[in-house]
Amino acid sequence: MNIVMRLENVTLEYPVPRRYRKEKVKPSGIRNVSFELKKGEVLGIIGRNGSGKSTLLKMMAGVFPPNSGQISSKGAVSLLAGVGVGFNKELTGRENAYLYGALMGRNRKQIDELIEEIQSFAELTHHFDRPFRTFSSGMKARLGISVATAFKPDLLLIDEVLGVGDVSFREKSQKKVKDLIETSGSVIIVSHSLGMLKDMCTRMILIEDGEILIDDEPDAVIAKYIEILAS
Amino acid sequence: MSDSIEKQTSFGIVMDDHEMVLKTPEDNSELTPLWQKRNFYLYPFVMFSDLIGSRHLLSLLVKRDIATRYRRAYLGLFWAILEPLLLAGIYSVIFTILVGRSDPLYAAKVVLGVIGWSLFSRSVTSSAKSLTDSVNLFQFARVPKSVFATNGPITNIILALFSLLSVIPFFVIHDLPITINLLLLPFWLFILSFTGWSIGLLVAPISCKIPDVMNIVNFLVRAGFFLSPVMWTYDMFSKRFGEGWQSVVAHLNPTIVPITEMRDAVLGTSSNVPSWGYGLCFGMVVIFYLFGSIIFMRSAHKAVVNI
Repeated sequence: MNIVMRLENVTLEYPVPRRYRKEKVKPSGIRNVSFELKKGEVLGIIGRNGSGKSTLLKMMAGVFPPNSGQISSKGAVSLLAGVGVGFNKELTGRENAYLYGALMGRNRKQIDELIEEIQSFAELTHHFDRPFRTFSSGMKARLGISVATAFKPDLLLIDEVLGVGDVSFREKSQKKVKDLIETSGSVIIVSHSLGMLKDMCTRMILIEDGEILIDDEPDAVIAKYIEILAS
Repeated sequence: MSDSIEKQTSFGIVMDDHEMVLKTPEDNSELTPLWQKRNFYLYPFVMFSDLIGSRHLLSLLVKRDIATRYRRAYLGLFWAILEPLLLAGIYSVIFTILVGRSDPLYAAKVVLGVIGWSLFSRSVTSSAKSLTDSVNLFQFARVPKSVFATNGPITNIILALFSLLSVIPFFVIHDLPITINLLLLPFWLFILSFTGWSIGLLVAPISCKIPDVMNIVNFLVRAGFFLSPVMWTYDMFSKRFGEGWQSVVAHLNPTIVPITEMRDAVLGTSSNVPSWGYGLCFGMVVIFYLFGSIIFMRSAHKAVVNI
């Protein structure tokens, strides 16, 4: 079996603020989540705001440890967690790309080989050597997607980033993600854009209140999600 | 039993999936657990091994810090020299007004005190705030969090070395001797930064859970300025309090010996720090690092959930 990530009964509950403890508020987080992701799969995760989608991605990226359960992965995992997240506003686009490459474990020579591709895909031209704080939100998103896909992680985790930018860039970035899958990568996408998820994903998971409600083909999961939203 | 647990036992590590810490050996061909347990006494060594393994990233973070600190200032890096000189000028005037006498080398002593103290205090605060300040960076990929606690103190050492250029005018004005002892300056700067870093490691995970801790740290840093030999010197203290219990208490301040030694190295003086003073200084360095590294490695991953 060619599994790139496995979650076994993973639970993470955020601490409840002191003023709510007497009311016995149920802690938010993730509870008893188990699934496997195979090589080449594109897994979509949907759910209402606060259902635990982003927490799950952060746990898979190794940012948060589980309170219990086990997460196992194979190869490099990278998380693209929103427009501009992780970039330094004072550094130029080029300097940020080098920093991102180093975070991905690449050395200078390896980054040198990819830097032109990053600049070209991000369509930043001369802005690439200007401070990140001068970028528009579209430019920030383009740089983020460009560097995240250029370093070809074995598993790319994307949190609500593919829906940004203009239509042509959205199509371009979705194509880039598909290319990454073809070159043996796997992708997990968190998004509220059901059309895009249906178009890109081979499988989807619906999360409600920190637990997996359904893990199935996109059509079935989206139908269930719409049913929940309507109820 | 899963592949991952079998792999753990093959490495001879007791697996407890409720606990976590540290990365597994790099192996891209098999599933490996993101978190694994290790004995706490290995943490001080594992932290160094993590930092050496991430040296490329560490060097980029240091370059970023240096590049961004003065990037928008017209005088740029020159501020690193100007700042201690301006502070020394102000303190010298205040001290002369208050005490009514003037030591011709007092300004030079204050410059060195300011450089040493700034390095120590900035190292404490940068590593103590590292988890909250770098939360966006370590979301990118799985990188040891100790890297983000270390780039600040290394940046501060480099800037402190640059700040030492501010003592050159005193060599010219007072015709100070250039001795081999000057080579000790980087060593004492390292000790100051290392101690500050270790204290910051101790505080960083706690400050994620209890934000008030950073307020306490900031207060102690401000108070510590007056309790450290910045505006006063080791000789002044010795003349006033001798070598009684006050001296022992004063040596519990980890900056007193390094700053005094920096002054002796530059000014060619000898402050006669007792041998137990050095012992106490280096003992505290080791103890702070052991406790700091163990607490950071054990708690940092769990603490970031609170941010």
